Amino acid sequence: MTSTKDVEKSAMIARMWVSQAKGLISEMGLVIERADQKGVQLRMPFNPDFCVDEAKTILHGGILTALLDSTFGLANFLAVDDIQTMATLDLRVDYLRPASSRADVVVFAECYRKTRHIAFGSGKVWFDNGDCEEVARGSATFAITRGKGSLFDTMKKAGPSA
Amino acid sequence: MKLLDIQARCDRVPFFRHLGFSVTEVNDMQILAIMPFEQRHIGNPMLDTYHGGIIASFMEAIASLTVLGDLNSPPPKPVNLTVDYLRPGLPGTLNARASILRRGRRIASVETTAWLDDEGKPVAKGLFHFLLV
Repeated sequence: MTSTKDVEKSAMIARMWVSQAKGLISEMGLVIERADQKGVQLRMPFNPDFCVDEAKTILHGGILTALLDSTFGLANFLAVDDIQTMATLDLRVDYLRPASSRADVVVFAECYRKTRHIAFGSGKVWFDNGDCEEVARGSATFAITRGKGSLFDTMKKAGPSA
Repeated sequence: MKLLDIQARCDRVPFFRHLGFSVTEVNDMQILAIMPFEQRHIGNPMLDTYHGGIIASFMEAIASLTVLGDLNSPPPKPVNLTVDYLRPGLPGTLNARASILRRGRRIASVETTAWLDDEGKPVAKGLFHFLLV
């Protein structure tokens, strides 16, 4: 059973994660669609800067890789209650078809197994264009540390503008 | 292909301009490039380190350039990738080398390394597969 407290904490972590984002994550303009201990779903609006062609119709695969990596991060944060730090150990991405659409990109990622030191993630990416064909799948492992003084506490202290 | 021609091609790709890297060395089997650190490359807002996806994208970009047929050919189609993150991507100019492991008629495998100051202490290593047809 997921308690109301857990739901509220998940929502708060997801909001902080977006509001305190810097660099690439803020460039991506992510919108949270779902964020709880079972998984995270985010929406990324089309951005011509992420395209591989001059006509700006096809996204570069690398941005999908980056999107998956980011989403794994948030999924770990929500799934591992006392997570202090995490570092991506490895990341694998399969590009299933060309990313040729100007529709929003949607990503779902979950932490499907967590141990004392390692978190395992799996995710997929599709376009919100009606048929929702998958464009990429990814999996990753993370080295994590757990204990008192969690990342949640650190981010809470840092505040929304940090 | 000459270095200047490859750089000119890179300059036409919106996402490559976003990454902001420069190709520094080109031969038949390898490409070297450097990417200055930018705020938009940050992944971890507490540590201001590179986003893992930016490092992977930089390596994928130069990996694809190594197997480009000629300057007017369409970009090779990326099939998949694996990246090992070996050290923290601290803020600083990132170097990357992409080397062709095998180039067949249909498939190419390209190995990459990214490092900050010392190539012997890589930040990440990658393996990329491309479809050439």
